[in-house]
Amino acid sequence: MIDLTRRRIDASAVVDSVRRDDAGAVVLFLGSVRADEGIAALDYEVYVPMAKKVLTGLADRAKAKFQVLDVSIVHRLGRVAVGGDSVAIACSAAHRREAFDACAWIMDEVKRIVPIWKSQPPRARRHSR
Amino acid sequence: MRIRVLLFATLRETVGEPEITWSADPGTTVAAFLTSFLRRYPQLVPHRDTMMVAVNQAFAEPTTELQDGDEVALLPPVSGGAR
Repeated sequence: MIDLTRRRIDASAVVDSVRRDDAGAVVLFLGSVRADEGIAALDYEVYVPMAKKVLTGLADRAKAKFQVLDVSIVHRLGRVAVGGDSVAIACSAAHRREAFDACAWIMDEVKRIVPIWKSQPPRARRHSR
Repeated sequence: MRIRVLLFATLRETVGEPEITWSADPGTTVAAFLTSFLRRYPQLVPHRDTMMVAVNQAFAEPTTELQDGDEVALLPPVSGGAR
């Protein structure tokens, strides 16, 4: 599952999307908006068609590099309030080590090459939604 | 030939437009396009060293030749994921 969504991420659906009978391990990573000083929410801008291609490529590379069986990546776009999840990555593998390593590698790559930009909402709009 | 130039995040804010239609000679490279585009929008010059360029939704090299109808995206450093 590769998805960019304006709706709340359903973490259990992301986990279920990678479950397989030959997987002995499923690792889920959630990235959440942290309550740093002055932060009520973050806005995510996404170059959607390219982000989908890059995320699909990352999932394929992770499968080859770490021998994971399945990978799902879901990222939010638009406004995410403090405490909300901005990204979910799930990896399934025969054994836990590959699944942990693949999740960590994918998250690093998401922050490096996927065309997504976060910004602080303008003050005046902070409480409007 | 005509290309669509897409601007994102800080680059969009700097120029004030999300999309610009641009005319160039066939075979223009990404590097040559950038040089003339930044001459027209000099406010982008400070971002030149940090921006990435994508052509038709794939990262492009400076030597990539542009074709009529291409979608060229100027991408500031990305910052997805959690804060």
